[in-house]
Amino acid sequence: MDFFVQQVVNGLTLGGVYALIALGYSLVYGVLKLLNFAHGDVYMVGAFIGFGVLTAFGGPASLAAPVPLVLLAMFVAAALGSGVLGVVIERFAYRPLRDATRIAPLITALGVSFFLQNAVLLLLGADVRTYDTSAFIPVTTAVDVGPLSISLVRILVIVAAAALMVALARLVGRTKLGRAMRAVAFDREAAQMMGVDIDRTIVATFFIGSALAGVAGVLVGLVFLQVSHLMGFIAGLKGFTAAVIGGIGSVPGAMLGGLLIGMAESFTAAYISSTFQNLIVFGILITVMLVRPVGLLGTPELNKV
Amino acid sequence: MLELSGVGLSFGGVRAVHDLDLAVEEGEIVSLIGPNGAGKTTVFNLITGVYGPQAGDIRFAGRSIAGLPPHRIAGRGLARTFQAIRLFLNMSVKENVLAATYGNTSAQPWQSILRTPKARREERDANAVAESALGFFGQRLAGYRWDQPAYSLSYANRRRLEIARAMATEPRMLLLDEPAAGMNPHETAEIAEVIGRLRDERGYTILVIEHDMHVVEGISDRVVALDHGEAIARGSFDQVATHPAVVEAYLGRGAASTKR
Amino acid sequence: MPPIGVDEWVARSGERTEGHAGPLAPVLRRLERIPPWAWLAIAAGAAALFPLLTDSAFALRVGVNALLLAMLALGLNVVVGWAGLLDLGYIAFYGFGAYAFALVSSDQLGEDGVHLPAWISIPAIMVAAAVLGLLLGLPSRRLVGDYLAIVTLFFGQVFVELVVNLDRVRLPGADEPISLTGGPNGIPGVDPISVLGTEIITPRGYFYLLLVLTVLLMAGLHLLDRSRTGRAWRAVREDALAASFMTIPVNGVKLMAFAFGAAIAALAGSVFAAVQAGVFPQSFETPFLILIYAALILGGAGSIAGAVLGAVVVSVTLELLRDPDQASVLFYGVVLLTLVARLRPWKLLAAVLGATVALGLVTHGAAGAISPDLTAGEPALGGWTGGALDAWLVLPENAATAGNWAFVALVCGVLATTLLAPRLRPLAIVPLVYVAAFAWEARLVGQPAITRQLLLGALLVVMMTWRAHGLLGSRRVEVL
Repeated sequence: MDFFVQQVVNGLTLGGVYALIALGYSLVYGVLKLLNFAHGDVYMVGAFIGFGVLTAFGGPASLAAPVPLVLLAMFVAAALGSGVLGVVIERFAYRPLRDATRIAPLITALGVSFFLQNAVLLLLGADVRTYDTSAFIPVTTAVDVGPLSISLVRILVIVAAAALMVALARLVGRTKLGRAMRAVAFDREAAQMMGVDIDRTIVATFFIGSALAGVAGVLVGLVFLQVSHLMGFIAGLKGFTAAVIGGIGSVPGAMLGGLLIGMAESFTAAYISSTFQNLIVFGILITVMLVRPVGLLGTPELNKV
Repeated sequence: MLELSGVGLSFGGVRAVHDLDLAVEEGEIVSLIGPNGAGKTTVFNLITGVYGPQAGDIRFAGRSIAGLPPHRIAGRGLARTFQAIRLFLNMSVKENVLAATYGNTSAQPWQSILRTPKARREERDANAVAESALGFFGQRLAGYRWDQPAYSLSYANRRRLEIARAMATEPRMLLLDEPAAGMNPHETAEIAEVIGRLRDERGYTILVIEHDMHVVEGISDRVVALDHGEAIARGSFDQVATHPAVVEAYLGRGAASTKR
Repeated sequence: MPPIGVDEWVARSGERTEGHAGPLAPVLRRLERIPPWAWLAIAAGAAALFPLLTDSAFALRVGVNALLLAMLALGLNVVVGWAGLLDLGYIAFYGFGAYAFALVSSDQLGEDGVHLPAWISIPAIMVAAAVLGLLLGLPSRRLVGDYLAIVTLFFGQVFVELVVNLDRVRLPGADEPISLTGGPNGIPGVDPISVLGTEIITPRGYFYLLLVLTVLLMAGLHLLDRSRTGRAWRAVREDALAASFMTIPVNGVKLMAFAFGAAIAALAGSVFAAVQAGVFPQSFETPFLILIYAALILGGAGSIAGAVLGAVVVSVTLELLRDPDQASVLFYGVVLLTLVARLRPWKLLAAVLGATVALGLVTHGAAGAISPDLTAGEPALGGWTGGALDAWLVLPENAATAGNWAFVALVCGVLATTLLAPRLRPLAIVPLVYVAAFAWEARLVGQPAITRQLLLGALLVVMMTWRAHGLLGSRRVEVL
């Protein structure tokens, strides 16, 4: 029973991370109808930035400042850095293709993703960086829930992910920017004619989505410790699988999809074998595509003939 | 030839089409009129298979076509054109028309590659059909245009090409969605003449959506008026044009009493 | 001249304005009239001469790789270029063909293994791959670009994972687990292909085999393009909904494109397995997929000749990049060519070049005066050009870190320059060229593997934003 609950916690942790990545995809897709393949690599850069901040403060074992401050600095730096990177990518790789075919920006995104991965490889080398979280957040710092003890780090991840998702939901639902994003997602031309500044809205969307990915990167580093230039690819893949399963373009859908995949992975690894994780996730994707192509919470796109 | 009985379709809470009965006899030209948003294109979409009717049935040449996918319905002999022109812009004029012969040919890829007698014969026949369809428009889509990309055509020629492409499916019935939209008076008169010739020379049964009342008056055997997804008047052009419900639909309440 | 109507005169205006100009015009017009068959025969003949001109096994292997890539690009062209479907798992079919061939042509299965002759196994493998392609296409029911991209990308990933992990498969009734795919080590000892009784074991032999296959493939695809299937593919790419109203079964046509592409990839994969005399999972990972896409996009998606041309250019370029000397020639050559092509009045070009040279010499002199260590390094290029570079470029001995900064500066600089007004750009280009040279010598030239990946990624981005139809593709008009 304890084992089961432990897997639930693991699933929530993973799910939270995937949901954050999925949200970035969903936001950008909603506004631009574009699957930003480079999103996973933005997440990877965020993880590296977090690591950089950690090192700047003296490294995991000998931090020069209180832990909460360091964590905050890591999150902020990663969010800003990834956000800016996302905006730059949009400006130079996607904006020129805004009126091109649907697959042109996808191919470009592939190129950007590949370029980013190798740029990081060139600049920072292939060595895996380790966050070594236990050095500054002792493993014993845990919260006791009944007979089970959940490590603080995992709680941090779950709480941070949940908080960000709530904040995002409020942003999209209640603010002027959120309204603009929804308007542009619905009908770009009409939004333009209503006075919405398309470019700024798109830039803001990319910034927010990429910042979320950056934070997700730091969270992953804290929990799973290892950061490498290849981590973006598979995480990105799962992130947008989550977005698609939940219903691309839908914020609650991204959350649901992320949770679903996180749980599936966690339980597969625990009860079957970790080698089959990706296969199971792929299976879920195929099943959803067959049964409900628009995703669990997605709305079908009306095609005016 | 075409029969809609009790057809209904809703989008969410909006009733696009409600309890619609519509019949078109072979060789007729029937016009479908009504204010914008009346549901005319939705009716076309229902007939051609974009949506399946939620209520009622649609029968073509005696067999039900409700719920069939668009390419099957087209294969049964129903071809259409579109309100906003949808050509294959990057393909040549002739290729646009040839593409529509797909349903009437069956050469498999290996047969095409090996150029079997069947494949070559089908290609010849398809070419003949395409040339006949293009030739219908005389000098407008004459031979020198055939290899030009479709995007280089003028607006009026694009509409003609769309009709030619529909003709290449060797249909029994044509559904023309606002064929005169965006045309100047000269071109409009030409299109009206073309529609008449389509029926007289090629024997097509035609259902037309049109806003230009001169065209409607000139070509129609019968007219059906739609408003809010329901048929509000049927009959000859004169009967429908003066029908109070139709006048009210177009001009608003109060206009009916002041008309004529 | 017979009188022509106004309509015809207008219609023919394209011929008048797009005609060729200049002294080469008659030649170009003659070239345009050469039928595709003649071109294919000429190209095939020239390619056939290639192995006779060189004895180097290395050069022949490059040729073999180029032809394999050409076949893959041709197959991808059917799916992406003609039908407009974004298949990101394409290498999985290549891998499928390679592994399937390896399984039936080696000792991997059973006691002495299965050793089917190629003329039986390869067609069967192609059919199996086509079926696999159909199965993969089915769930992406809407088969719209986005959903298809994800499913296929995931499939490609899962394929490699499966292959790596199927080395301990427990069959019911067997005592020991068997290794189906050899796991991370792959399957060695694959039989060579036999044609008409003779085994092909040299690079030269495989070059000719692949050349024949490629030529046949090009001819077959050309015929297919002109047939109802090709028209249906292109119609579906243009406007799938309109195509469905014109009797074209859109989903069926898309699945057919998928199956065709898969079969072609499997064919290439089978030959690949024979060429390497083994299969290893590393060959089928994402970097290779990017390579195929780069070849197709560069050459021109939608064009048969483009796919092959792109494959040849990319293959040869990447081989050149392996050797620092040749890579440097390529690098500086491309930089110079870009400048020549983009800086139009020759006076401007001369001014920019002059300024760059001057900037370099001055900086070099100043650096040398500060400290000889700053210029102690040597460019990778040899000969007198290397010497000239040495006098122009500031290059310390171990400049890797500085090179990294220069690389970042280069990328940012290039991006920023695109934002500048055209009048100001030459000013920015001068220092940018210097930084580029420095980044190259200090860092990039020493990392050929990474540089080649960077190049491929950048190629995709640049081509799509600048000239999406590639070298030989035709410009497309899109419905907005």
